Amino acid sequence: MSQEPQSGLLLLGVGGGGCRLAASVLSAYGGGLRALGVDTDALSNRETAAGGMTCLLFGGTLLAGHGTGGDAIKGRMVAQEDMRNLMPHLQGVRTVVVLACLGAGTGGGATPEIIKALHDMGLATVCFVTLPFAFEGEARRKAAERVLPMIEENADSMVVVPLDELFHDAGDGLLSDAIQITEGLVAAGITLLWRLLTKPGFIRLDAERLHAMVLKGGNARFGFSSADGPGRAERAVAALRASRLLRSGDALAKANALLVGILAGSDLRLSEVGEVMGQLRGVCKSDCTIEMGTVLDARFDGRIELVALAFESWTAAAKLESRKDAPPVQEPPVADAFPIQSGSKKSRNKSSKLSLNASGRGKFQNVEPTIYDGQDLDVPTFLRRGITLER
Amino acid sequence: MAIPPIAALEIGTSRTVVCVGEVDEGGRVKITGVGSYPTTGVRKGQVVDLTQARVGVESAAKQAEKMSTVSIWQLLLATSGGHIQSVVNPGMLTIRSAERVVSREDIEEVTENAQSIPLDNEHQVLHTITQSFTVDDQPGIVKPEGMRCKVLTLNVMAVHGLKSRIDNAVAVAKSAQLEVTDVAFSGICAALAVLSPEQRRNGVVLVDLGGGTTNYIAYCNNVISAVGCIAVGGDHVTNDIAQAFNMTQTRAEEIKRAEGCAVLDLETSARRVVLPAQVGFEERMLSCKALHTVINARMDETFHVLRSRLDEAGVLPHLGAGVVLTGGGAYLRKVSDLAQRVFGLPCRIGLPVNVDGLENAEQPAALSTAAGLVLYGRMTYEDRGLFSPLRNLFKGVFRR
Repeated sequence: MSQEPQSGLLLLGVGGGGCRLAASVLSAYGGGLRALGVDTDALSNRETAAGGMTCLLFGGTLLAGHGTGGDAIKGRMVAQEDMRNLMPHLQGVRTVVVLACLGAGTGGGATPEIIKALHDMGLATVCFVTLPFAFEGEARRKAAERVLPMIEENADSMVVVPLDELFHDAGDGLLSDAIQITEGLVAAGITLLWRLLTKPGFIRLDAERLHAMVLKGGNARFGFSSADGPGRAERAVAALRASRLLRSGDALAKANALLVGILAGSDLRLSEVGEVMGQLRGVCKSDCTIEMGTVLDARFDGRIELVALAFESWTAAAKLESRKDAPPVQEPPVADAFPIQSGSKKSRNKSSKLSLNASGRGKFQNVEPTIYDGQDLDVPTFLRRGITLER
Repeated sequence: MAIPPIAALEIGTSRTVVCVGEVDEGGRVKITGVGSYPTTGVRKGQVVDLTQARVGVESAAKQAEKMSTVSIWQLLLATSGGHIQSVVNPGMLTIRSAERVVSREDIEEVTENAQSIPLDNEHQVLHTITQSFTVDDQPGIVKPEGMRCKVLTLNVMAVHGLKSRIDNAVAVAKSAQLEVTDVAFSGICAALAVLSPEQRRNGVVLVDLGGGTTNYIAYCNNVISAVGCIAVGGDHVTNDIAQAFNMTQTRAEEIKRAEGCAVLDLETSARRVVLPAQVGFEERMLSCKALHTVINARMDETFHVLRSRLDEAGVLPHLGAGVVLTGGGAYLRKVSDLAQRVFGLPCRIGLPVNVDGLENAEQPAALSTAAGLVLYGRMTYEDRGLFSPLRNLFKGVFRR
């Protein structure tokens, strides 16, 4: 399969739901996308593999391919056990987009572990997680909500998609179709985002920029809309603003940073881009950083699709830094087998949760110090004793 | 009456361990189930994230249940952390009887006096340990009943900790649907599992080198004479390595385990190790001398802090059986050589030999605390030990 190593992006589906989402993105995107699935169920693994996506079986020894049976602890254990199997697939990757449906065993259990391992390796992670429908029961909802803080701790950005809210967007479908419809919609949204990042466009929104943005992003809301025919731009923006995923425009109004993608046919007019951006700028706060990109594809003639990622926890300092660090738009992203060594290291260190300050306390930064004889024992002994290390 | 299976939980800084033990007819405890899971959300022995810590407890309990085929819903909890301290409180009594003979009632009364330890509401007493009686001016009496004297004195050592910290650990177990029936200090548990009666008689200090804390307990003449905890452990070694060589904690931990050594010697210092390339890291060389210097500095300091604590308690001259190291940190290469140097006493690694069933465990010394907690459970069940209070802890486990 032809891949795009230069983008440094990897789409990683975790668990049955995550793999299905990743596979739908892959099929909608039409090949050339670097995608990988991780699941514990050999049966659904085969199904996903039939769709053309590489799928790793986790927990081969522990679970013998029978899945976790909804047990998040098993999911967690297999992820710890088999994380090394993922390593060979990460060469050249800088940003991993993780897709997972929370509430069940593998998605809920393995996702936090995988994100943590990726974070420890110095990779940027964007995690798209779906929360289960209300009709799936309270237990599943609670299980999913328990996992969220664990993901949030290590993911650079987390996009939460409550399926219930999406379902309203999808209209009054059959109950039995609900999961399929909504997952299809999420997949469509992510595909759109992926197209923006990887296909050459009029105004590029490249992977580098996403990388820079997610490193400081924090939590994000994700919304998308489409319209065709006359007045398509206006209607698409209106639909986006009304989208429940963006809390009916509330997420836009509160966003500190906004990433907007426009996918349209070659008939896209400048006035339409102006219309979309003007309207969105009008909704957002005056100091909101807005990044925009467009992709033109003749197959989309007469149609316009919008995707927005509204980040909520940007700080002013991070914003300044991003402007400084963001590479020029026309510069191609750097191919790099060792992502942390590249230009992002500086910015990553500044925003990283593992960053060290001058005190040298490292991982003990936020815990009560151990003071003995006037010395802080959490600071490395060799530093306090002034020992020079032979390199 | 046969003792039902006893379940014990240790929420350690690096690993959460659950042990299930059963008492055989001869009174020996056999560990029938062990669950061990990497801990997150605990720093220096104290819970900093309830949700993360719960995951470790659930996973470890599940493994232990599977291995031992019992269901656990109640268990004992071992606690540690820099807040754990000990204080010796003397209780005095003037013998009122005409013959001035110490009666059983006198002993009960003096014990009660000694156990009423003045502590504020923020502290919780974990153990009250009877040390020895002084009959008038004659110290070191074990059984004063029937002796003649005017004043009877009893020294009781209280091991206490901050209530809020202990409650946090209990809350973690509770959130994993497990009820904690009793809490014990990790150091005391490890001693129960590791030390032999002879060592206790001859005088010994047990040092439990944990992930976030170093617990110690010293026996002189079969009496617990010093107990405490230093909030420095294996995690500090890892953190020092990570900071010295600019690497992640995960990587530093791997290197510590693979190449770590507590002393510098000719054999190792000349070597250089290759750190293979991983995603995000280029291949690089690391001087073993530098690595061992960092580890040596930390361990040397920890042992010196410990030495001065023991010195303050006045126990150093009474440690005929030397120093016994246990816990995961005991597997650091040549750590006993370093301890021997610092303490000037014979030093050895102690395994949980007072229980059966751990002979094939990968690192049995890392299980000392949890295994000892099962022994503690047995002791409080039988209610003839030095420890109090006795609580209701046996509804905890039943056979499936």
